[in-house]
Amino acid sequence: MGIKIDPLKCIACMACELACGYHRDDAFALLSSCVVVYRTRERKDYFGVVLKEEDSLVIARPEGLEVKKIGAAEEDSGGGDASAKPMLLREACDLCEDRDDGPLCIQVCPVEAVYQD
Amino acid sequence: MEYLSSDKIAVIDLAAGEVEELELDEELVAQRIGGAGITSHLYAQYQDEDPIVLGAGLLTGTLVPASSLAVATGKSPLTGTLVHAPLTQYAGQELKYSGFDYIVIKGTAPEPVFLWIHDGIADIEPAGELWGAEVWQAVSQVRAQMGDELIQVLGAGPAAERGSDLGQLMINEWASGDRFGLGRALAAKKVKLIAVRGMGLLEIAEEEDFLAGCLELLKAVKAGAWGGRQGLGELGAALGYDDFAAWLEPKLHRHHAAFNTPFAYLGFLMLEGDPKAMNEPQADEPGVLVGDPGALGALKALGLNVEEAGDILKACAKAGLDAAGVAKVCQGRGITAAADILAALEDISGPVEGLSGPFSTWAPLGLAPDEASWRRRMAVAHVFGLDPIFMLMAPELSEDKLVELAALGTELEITTDTLEAVVEAIAG
Ligand code: SF4
Ligand code: SF4
Repeated sequence: MGIKIDPLKCIACMACELACGYHRDDAFALLSSCVVVYRTRERKDYFGVVLKEEDSLVIARPEGLEVKKIGAAEEDSGGGDASAKPMLLREACDLCEDRDDGPLCIQVCPVEAVYQD
Repeated sequence: MEYLSSDKIAVIDLAAGEVEELELDEELVAQRIGGAGITSHLYAQYQDEDPIVLGAGLLTGTLVPASSLAVATGKSPLTGTLVHAPLTQYAGQELKYSGFDYIVIKGTAPEPVFLWIHDGIADIEPAGELWGAEVWQAVSQVRAQMGDELIQVLGAGPAAERGSDLGQLMINEWASGDRFGLGRALAAKKVKLIAVRGMGLLEIAEEEDFLAGCLELLKAVKAGAWGGRQGLGELGAALGYDDFAAWLEPKLHRHHAAFNTPFAYLGFLMLEGDPKAMNEPQADEPGVLVGDPGALGALKALGLNVEEAGDILKACAKAGLDAAGVAKVCQGRGITAAADILAALEDISGPVEGLSGPFSTWAPLGLAPDEASWRRRMAVAHVFGLDPIFMLMAPELSEDKLVELAALGTELEITTDTLEAVVEAIAG
């Protein structure tokens, strides 16, 4: 079972993004994270979280979830958020398989907006 | 400096139009840790050229809870003394990852400029049409010019340019913790804004133990007094703002946190359209992020409703005015009607009564048991780069734990004695 995101609980703190970066690089960096807060529409207070999985891009928008198959997401450049595009170049979520304690993003989210069933 | 650092200081000489790059000496970190500890050291070093020094803390941008803070250190036009303005939201992490640990901005530019700090490069660029532009317009313009919407902008508005003491150093479109008029100080140097973008990487000395320490702290914080709580309403209630949550309710949209900060003390007021709707608003500028909760409380205390207060915050944000200072000055002059306050913004200036000390009461005194412990918490927050508001909420982020993490992260001999000496140096 993959990671789930509740966009309405999210407070855009970016802890998940930083945690995922740590999982990739054993350092603090944001470039390799496969879970990313999109926050370019700050003037409209419109933000959410994008997750890259093996076959799909999960876009957790405040009004609801959208799951795009990777092929379709590539063609549909107008559909996602600007920050979603480079997502396609990143490694997919591996559920932090090398960690005994499981997904790090879930552990650091202060409001349980990232979770697993 | 190998760990939790980019190992670089930019010294920007505005008069000469030159940038010098220096290494961040490990010895300096071992002595002054970081944040205000080091910005104040650099300030003293370049004091003759009246610098503004920007910097992140040692733990800014890491997984230590509340790692949101950057500091702007300089002489306040309002107090005439050295101050440390707290900059949270996403400003701290962006600066930390920008390839520079500290940025010294000294002298005065012959013509208006902006600074472009990115990926270890610091450039001085002509401000052109940015000069004179209102804050929101300048933010859009510089992002478009550099082709990156995630650029974080620390800037001055038209109020600062015309010399108002209430000219705040803004974070993007929003209010910051600068209640010292550092926007005016920046504009006086003929610098409109500092655009920052960072995609760097911070190595950690003992990464596994460091991570374990961060997770342990987060767990403790979540089990603490503020665990499970959120929002401006809760914060206002703790500060004794009468019926604050109910007052906010008609306009409050979503809660926001500063970077990696577990309590969302920022909130957005949706002034146009339905604040309960969650789809993307039609209007381009439907509201305002409350970057200074105390300013909103002060406007409420003048007898305004949330819509009126929101309109004033938005107008202040566009002009680059410190709204807390505006509320205080207006109250002092007996100006309390929303329309009169909006009209006064055109040429409002200081002085603002009651400012003292190097730390901003943007992080409310009311969250601390007394002033001495408030000042101590502020000093620790500004050295490590942790969110000053959250530091007042979370005693779990204890000095011992933070010192331990600083040592684990850097392999330097940073002890409680080191911290004691730095706190004494910056807090007096
Ligand atoms: S589970 Fe691990 S790999 Fe997947 S998004 Fe979370 S941190 Fe990244
Ligand atoms: S950690 Fe949780 S609250 Fe923070 S950005 Fe990620 S999902 Fe949102």
